[in-house]
Amino acid sequence: MKKTSSVFYWMTIPAFILFFAFHTLPALQGIFYSFTNYIGFGDYSFVGFKNYINLLNDGRAFDAYIFTFKFAIVTTIIVNILSLLVALGLNSKIRFKNTFRAVYFVPYMLSILVVGYIFNHIFTFIIPQLGSQLGIGILSKNILGNMDLAWIGVVILAVWNSSGFNILLYLSGLQTVPDELYEVAKIDGADKWNQFKHITFPLIAPFLTINIVISMRGFLMVFDHIMALTQGGPGQATESITLLIYNGGFMGGEFAYQTANAVVFLFVVLAISFFQLKILQKREVDY
Amino acid sequence: MKSLHPIISILLAVFMVVGLGAVSFAQEVELEFFQNKREAVETFDRLIEKFEKENPEINITQNHVPDAETVLRSRLARNNIPDIMGLGGNFTYGQIADAGIFKNFDNASYLKDIQPAYKEMLQDLHEGNSNYGVPFTANANTVLYNKDKFKELGLDIPKTWDEFITTAKTIQENGGTPFYLTFKDAWTIMVPWNSLAANLQGENFIKQRLANETTFQARYQKVAERIYKLLDYGQDDVFGYGYSQGNQAFANGESFMYIQGVWAINPILEANPDINLGAFALPAVNDADENMLVSGVDTVLTISKNTDHPEAAEKFIKFLLKKENAQFYIDQQMTFSAVENVFQNDPTVVDLKEYFESGKIAPFPDHYYPSGMQVPNLIQGFLHRGNVEEFLEKLDSEWNKVQSR
Repeated sequence: MKKTSSVFYWMTIPAFILFFAFHTLPALQGIFYSFTNYIGFGDYSFVGFKNYINLLNDGRAFDAYIFTFKFAIVTTIIVNILSLLVALGLNSKIRFKNTFRAVYFVPYMLSILVVGYIFNHIFTFIIPQLGSQLGIGILSKNILGNMDLAWIGVVILAVWNSSGFNILLYLSGLQTVPDELYEVAKIDGADKWNQFKHITFPLIAPFLTINIVISMRGFLMVFDHIMALTQGGPGQATESITLLIYNGGFMGGEFAYQTANAVVFLFVVLAISFFQLKILQKREVDY
Repeated sequence: MKSLHPIISILLAVFMVVGLGAVSFAQEVELEFFQNKREAVETFDRLIEKFEKENPEINITQNHVPDAETVLRSRLARNNIPDIMGLGGNFTYGQIADAGIFKNFDNASYLKDIQPAYKEMLQDLHEGNSNYGVPFTANANTVLYNKDKFKELGLDIPKTWDEFITTAKTIQENGGTPFYLTFKDAWTIMVPWNSLAANLQGENFIKQRLANETTFQARYQKVAERIYKLLDYGQDDVFGYGYSQGNQAFANGESFMYIQGVWAINPILEANPDINLGAFALPAVNDADENMLVSGVDTVLTISKNTDHPEAAEKFIKFLLKKENAQFYIDQQMTFSAVENVFQNDPTVVDLKEYFESGKIAPFPDHYYPSGMQVPNLIQGFLHRGNVEEFLEKLDSEWNKVQSR
């Protein structure tokens, strides 16, 4: 048997210890607390599955799940369509390509909270002013104060902020497609649309998979955006699961109950990511 | 030998500094003072400076963080408890007191100098009748008004709910904005809500609700109707603006009244030092003599049960409760003192004095709602939809749900 170099152990074990201590252990602790009535400090006792049973009857948590999914699905679709389009543009032979790339990537590097406050200002003052000048009734008020429209404000911020990263991934994907394939296609008389449909799109399928899984997972965890824009309001119109866990768990003194909620959410996110990988990987091709 | 000289003198100097340091470390007591009011940081700094001058052996470090309650909760979870704390007298305080984290002050001599009403308010937040903190200051939930604009229209301070609405109507008929409502920030809705609920919920509501002897549906009908009525007299887009925008707008004279507590006075004066402003208690009922001012413990001082230096910590609390220091604090902060015979004399809040003198004071109702209910957001949702019955039902069902957890 060939002896494995000990270097590889030195590369993996420290990271494993750190990951276990700061990630796995707290997660296990969380699962432990979800079976208690702990409020974050003081004494506690075991309550069995009570928190999970209460969770089933919690309309508020259900609403938060609905909002989170609606937000995550819509945002994922918009981000991926937009990013793919921009990446196709940036991959072609245009001028100022690098400037464009930099410009698109800048929002991703900015802190969501900081940008959130700027968007808050835009939604509160600038858009209503424009709206009333143009005589568009619905835009003449702050959309973040509107129960039916507030979530769109959150979507706009999320798309603007995160597209840069997805564009980058698609760009690297597009660069893996060999030029010869396009030349062959051109000889065969395929137009641009057919080239995209039959060559580009199937070949960047692995990147589509990773982009969709990453953005879906990220948007299911949406927190900063909402904190900066609406704090879950108006009413509970933009209350995401993570916000509910934070508000109820830390500020509302329901630490154990919201931990149970977090454990459920963990499994939901895991299941969705797994499901997406299975479905999307099926349609990846290899020429 | 000569070349060694500077090295030796440096070494000697180092030894001396280290030695002195060790001596002073041995004597000095380090205490952390964790407090939750951003506005009060500077005032406390000045008081601490004075205290340290009087007690050179004690060193107090003030710690203020945004979202102090959440931070404190997470610190308690790690058993990292500040020595001295200045907290709001609310539901969280009661929960921490119940967890047995604060010192028991029942035998403290200085507790005698505190107004009994505020001590009781705190006792009602937790189980038993012990004192786990010393009330330091009180705030008031008010309606702020622009005196100059009131004079222009010849308006007086309304004494009853009907007069209040008539005043608002008159302002509107003269083309003015009666209230600048900042309902984008859900917590600001609690200001009118608390005034209305305190006066309209009836005797012992919380106790009876806890015992399932009454419901929100039975007792909160009028509260919900009246808070909804306020929407008719707000500016355009009452859900579009938040607290800081409201302070700015009211300071610039965009509305006649502004439903906020006394804590908003300083930020408003900062935005416009020339504004001539006053404060009155929201008249929630139609019998003027019955109306009560909502006032709560703004800062309760308390000590960790397990602090290493209980005497030094107590010394600091005693120092803050001294008349001159309590007076200095409320003059700076535009709050009211929980210490007997220390009065707020600022002309801005002169109209509130009669309530304090006659004892027509009611606690904040929302300090007794379980915070897991997140009532502000529930009210915000109701103000959007406007369905009173559905809303009160929701309050009851959320209450039951949170209680059963």
